[in-house]
Amino acid sequence: MAIETSQDELLALLLAVARKDRQAFQRLYEQISGRMFGLCLKLAKQQDLAEEAVQDAFVQIWHHASEYHNDRGAPLSWMMTIARYRTLDLMRSRKARATDGDGPLDRVEDHREGPLDRSLRSAGEQALTGCIEELSDVQRDSILLSYYRGMTHDELAVALSSPVGTVKSWVRRGLMALKRCLER
Amino acid sequence: MKKTPERIELLAAEYVLGSLKGQARRRFERWMMESARVREEVWYWEEKLGHLGSQAEDRPPPVSVWRGIEARLWPAKAANDSAGRWLWPGWSLVATAAALVMAVVLVQQPQPQLGERLSGAIVQADLADPLWLVSGSDAARGLKLRPVAATAAQTGKDYELWIVPQDGNPVSLGVIPEGNTYQVTLDDETRALLDRSRTLAISLEPVGGSPTGAPTGPILHVAKLYEL
Repeated sequence: MAIETSQDELLALLLAVARKDRQAFQRLYEQISGRMFGLCLKLAKQQDLAEEAVQDAFVQIWHHASEYHNDRGAPLSWMMTIARYRTLDLMRSRKARATDGDGPLDRVEDHREGPLDRSLRSAGEQALTGCIEELSDVQRDSILLSYYRGMTHDELAVALSSPVGTVKSWVRRGLMALKRCLER
Repeated sequence: MKKTPERIELLAAEYVLGSLKGQARRRFERWMMESARVREEVWYWEEKLGHLGSQAEDRPPPVSVWRGIEARLWPAKAANDSAGRWLWPGWSLVATAAALVMAVVLVQQPQPQLGERLSGAIVQADLADPLWLVSGSDAARGLKLRPVAATAAQTGKDYELWIVPQDGNPVSLGVIPEGNTYQVTLDDETRALLDRSRTLAISLEPVGGSPTGAPTGPILHVAKLYEL
C-alpha cells in the first residue's frame, strides 16, 4: 500500500472514477483504503462498523466523484471526510439503539492511558502545522477527542471530568483559535 | 436563528468536527443547502481538519470489504467472481424462463389484432444479464418491469421509472419496488407518449420518489423499447 500517493495522482484517479472508470476506482481503493480504514477504526473502535463505513464511503465516492471540485480541499481530505461522516452516522445510529438504560458513563471507553494517547496528540501536531500547539491543553484535547473518537459534548464532559457547558466552550474557543492561527 | 458570519463560522467548524448534533445538525444542513457561503465555510474546515484524517495509521481492510463494494455496485460481476456461485443457476433459470416466455409469445400469439407488444431490457454495459426486463401490451394497457440482475438502491434512495417523451419533461411511472415485478397501468395519455417515444429511464431519487415531479437524482439508465 502506497503511503505517499501524491494528491495529483489521486486527483487523476478521482476524475477517471467520475467517468465511471472501474479500474481507476479499484486503484483508488488500493491507494487509500488503508488510511481510510485506519481512520474509521480509530474513530469507531469496532472492526465491523469501520468495515461498513469504508464500504459505504467507497460506494458514495463511486456515485459522487463528479461532484468533487477544488474548493472542497485536497482529494484525499474530501474522501476521508466522506468516510468520517459515515462512521459518525453509523456510531450514532448504533448508540441510539443501544442507549436504552445505559447512562453516558457506560458508553465511554476505558481511559487507562488518559483520555488522549500520545499518538493522537502527535498526529494532531503534524497535521495542523503547529497551530494545535497554540491551543490550551483542554482545548486541544477536546478537539482531538471529538475528531478522532467522535465523542459528544456529554462524553467529553465525562472523559475530561468537567461540566458540559465548560467542555462546549473549550471546543468552540479552540476551533476559533485554530482558525485564526491557520489563517495567519 | 440568524446566519451571522460568526455563527456560520462556529457552526461549520462544529459540524465538521462532529460535535454539532441532532436537531442543530439538521438545521445546519438546511443552511448548507440554502447558502454557498455556508458550504464554503464547511469545505474550509473539511480541508483543514481533513489533514487530521490523513494522519491515521494505515490499516489495510480485509478483502471482504472490497468484495462488498463490488457486490453493491456491480452485483452480477461480484456473483461471478466470488463465492456467490449458487446464485448463478438461479439467474440462468430466470434467463431460461424469460427465453421460454418469449418463445411461447412468438409461437402462440402472433395475431396483430391483440395489439402491439412492447418489449425491452434495461441493461448495464458491463453486465451480462439485464437489470430489468420490460414488457407491455396494449390489450392489458400495462407495463411490466421484472427485475433480473437489479439490486436495491443504496440506503435512503429509491429507483424511479420515467417515460421520456419525444419532447417535454419525463413523466413518472412511480417508484420501483425492490425485488418484485412492478406493474403499472398506463392511461391513454401516457400510453400515447410511450408509443411515440418508446423510451424509458430510471433515476436515483430520495426514498418515496422525486419530491418535485421531475427527476432530481442522476439518470442511471435509459432504455429503448421495441415491438415484439
